[in-house]
Amino acid sequence: MIRYSLATILLLLAAFVAQQFLPALTGLHHSRILLVQLVFLCCAVTVGQTTMLALAFIGGFLWDAQCALGPHGGDPDVYTQQVENLRFGYSILLFGGMGVLMQGIQPLFKQGKWHFSALLSGIAVLLYLAAEYTIINFVRGGIVINRATLLQMLSTAILTMLFSPLVFWLLFRTAALFHHSINPEAGRRRRRLA
Amino acid sequence: MKPLNLIALLLFLGGAVWALTRSDRAVRGIQAAYYQSISPFLKTGSRLETHARAFLMETRHSKELETELAAAREQLGRLQLIETRFRDLEEENQQLRQALDFKQNSRFDVLAARVIRRNPTTWWQTLEIDAGSKRGIGTQLAVLTNEGLVGKIDRVDNNGERSSVLLLIDEKCQVSARVEGSPEVGILNGRRGGFDGDPLLRLRFLSANAAVRPGQRVLTTGRGGIFQPDILLGTIHSVEKGALDSEALVRPSVNFANLGAVFVVLTTDS
Repeated sequence: MIRYSLATILLLLAAFVAQQFLPALTGLHHSRILLVQLVFLCCAVTVGQTTMLALAFIGGFLWDAQCALGPHGGDPDVYTQQVENLRFGYSILLFGGMGVLMQGIQPLFKQGKWHFSALLSGIAVLLYLAAEYTIINFVRGGIVINRATLLQMLSTAILTMLFSPLVFWLLFRTAALFHHSINPEAGRRRRRLA
Repeated sequence: MKPLNLIALLLFLGGAVWALTRSDRAVRGIQAAYYQSISPFLKTGSRLETHARAFLMETRHSKELETELAAAREQLGRLQLIETRFRDLEEENQQLRQALDFKQNSRFDVLAARVIRRNPTTWWQTLEIDAGSKRGIGTQLAVLTNEGLVGKIDRVDNNGERSSVLLLIDEKCQVSARVEGSPEVGILNGRRGGFDGDPLLRLRFLSANAAVRPGQRVLTTGRGGIFQPDILLGTIHSVEKGALDSEALVRPSVNFANLGAVFVVLTTDS
């Protein structure tokens, strides 16, 4: 269990490195595969609450370290209405929220119905992006919702969701490597049938 | 709730509050440490990407020709930029001569850099270039192409080999701008969520009866301490007049979808 939990942390860190090489697809409404969020969501459904919160903290903290913009700079007398930055650390809470959402369907996952988790990972990514964009609107003022942004969020969520079976497969392999079962009820049922 | 889970939740919330209360300086420190720790992977990845691209190109060009072509392209862009700048300076010089007010021409030293990564984040319009503090780059320096202003340096990596550029089409990149042939000045910045297709910029705080027509050029004023004067930003696309002020939509002069090499303005002496 502990070894598997550590492996999920390492997997999340590896996702941060891999994310650096995943560009936005300009032809597909500037969508991208949010590998970090996906790995976190898939891991969140396979671990306990303590590990999920640790993953959420690491994920949110590093995501903000990766994405934070610098201060505006320039003469404040000229740039009187500066555009606000998002507070460093807000992603920690968003990751935590997504993790709680994924843990809600953990009983289904433990029964071997990982498809629901895959579907929910797409919904969670969509909610994550929507929450992030809402925070931007709230902090910077003025609600700007346009077709381009909605399509970007939707296509990013779908694109990310499509890769969730691959991440689940990787998690099953990792769990097997450490002789740990991430869906024990399904395992018991399989043994009964055998 | 189990005691262990409760402790974990409290620690999580405590950690989140700690992170949320970090100062800008502390965040920059955390960011620098993060990028330094992943820089070996970025370097290797970048090298692999370059090799892969070179391998694909080898069928069409030899490596020497490719290097020469890249150098020639950089040189051409640089010369075009200098030429544009030269023309502006010539015009300025003429105006100043007419006003019998002689001042020294400004020196404009630029450094060529290659774009290595575009839009690494979801919401911000940024790109990364292969030049950093080792080549004299610092934050808040203007970045140009021969077509006009690209943006400004937002972050320089600790290893001094990479920098992040905040593009003009991002909402956070504000530029003090003027409309050529009119007394109108305002603040130009990108539009939130306006990334798809043809991005347009917002020129705000124009006067209520701004005499501005579509097609007029928009240039930097040089005020604000970041951008040098008379750098081309774009052309007026449309004007929306309000009760107190007007706002114009500006089509950027730079094609942001096709940026290969850029120039960082290192020194300017006005």
